[in-house]
Amino acid sequence: MGLNYQLVLWNKNKKVYDRYILLFVLLYLVLFWAITLITNRNTTLETLTIRSSGTLAILLLHIILSIGPLARINTKFLPLLYNRRHLGVTMFLIALIHGGFSIFQFHMLGDVNPIYSVFTSNLDYSSLHDFPFQVLGFIALLILFAMAATSHDFWLANLSAKTWKALHMLVYVAYALIVSHVFLGAFQQETSPYMPALIGIGFVILVILHITAGIKEVRKDRQTYKASDTDWKYVCEIDEIEEDRAKIFIVDNERIAIFKYENKLSAIHNVCKHQGGPLGEGKIVDGCITCPWHGYQYLPQNGQSPPPFTEKVATYHVKIEDNKVYVLPKALEEGTEVTPAIIK
Amino acid sequence: MLISIISIFLKILAVYFGLGILFGIYFLIKGATQIDPLMKNSKWIVRLLLFPGVVATWICLVPKLFKK
Repeated sequence: MGLNYQLVLWNKNKKVYDRYILLFVLLYLVLFWAITLITNRNTTLETLTIRSSGTLAILLLHIILSIGPLARINTKFLPLLYNRRHLGVTMFLIALIHGGFSIFQFHMLGDVNPIYSVFTSNLDYSSLHDFPFQVLGFIALLILFAMAATSHDFWLANLSAKTWKALHMLVYVAYALIVSHVFLGAFQQETSPYMPALIGIGFVILVILHITAGIKEVRKDRQTYKASDTDWKYVCEIDEIEEDRAKIFIVDNERIAIFKYENKLSAIHNVCKHQGGPLGEGKIVDGCITCPWHGYQYLPQNGQSPPPFTEKVATYHVKIEDNKVYVLPKALEEGTEVTPAIIK
Repeated sequence: MLISIISIFLKILAVYFGLGILFGIYFLIKGATQIDPLMKNSKWIVRLLLFPGVVATWICLVPKLFKK
């Protein structure tokens, strides 16, 4: 959304979130180092760095993967979703420290290329118990690199939303590789059961969150209205829509968001042009519908991004009769001005 | 056999990223504005930020360059 690309799309809220991320990272590292040094004074600097960065990266990855379903289950988590991209890049940088130090400590000191050494120092690929777990971490790091490197808006515009989304869905492949990396590594090198147990708990929590959010989405999709293009379709009472918020309805397989603001109602297509974010889960900020994912904005009465921006979404006719809200399911051309329904 | 497969895989990876770096240098100098006109009004440091992504996804950007 814009006439040029910014280095980082920061606003006041994002800066606050980023400070929290930085504070959390520093706090975690200080605590990890302090506890480790108290309990085991012989731990080397390299081992401390590898373990603290590795565990922190995994923790952040779990948080990142939880944010999506949490935001679907409860809209209070939407601000976290809005800032997830920076958290992802932070997680990659920490994982890179982990991978970099591991390669340095275990593979740099011989006369073999260190990357080649990662793949060949243990050739027991047919064994589950002795599988070279570092390879899994290396491949996961490559995926996380591709994701972090393409997190800027430039990539969304130039790789196409479909390719970008597919690339970033690889996070689940990276997660599976990382879980395997930790489990196999723990079996081969650890005597403590805590790390695999914590990862196991994290995995179960993620599965439960994704299933719960999925069930909620399926229920929402079942509330589908069927209507011909010329039929006004009753959708809800006015009071069911919160001020400066929307309710989403599915009419003929299309999601329509009806927003209530300044004693008016306007309906637009629910899908943001930026990354397909659910506009109806956002709210009105400064008179504009604001996508909860990355803050793209649209005017409610015409579905157009405020000038000089050029994004447009489809609009719909909406009317009120006896406190009941009706929508005409035929989508108007993107950016078409529609007179809002007035709440008397 | 296994060593050969690993060697071939790593050589392909090295060639891919090597070509990515070459394309990335072209992107910094000229390709950025050819691929996306919005880059004309963007600061030069944005191109540097995009460089790692170009190295990773150059194979998707090359066809875009020829289409333009």
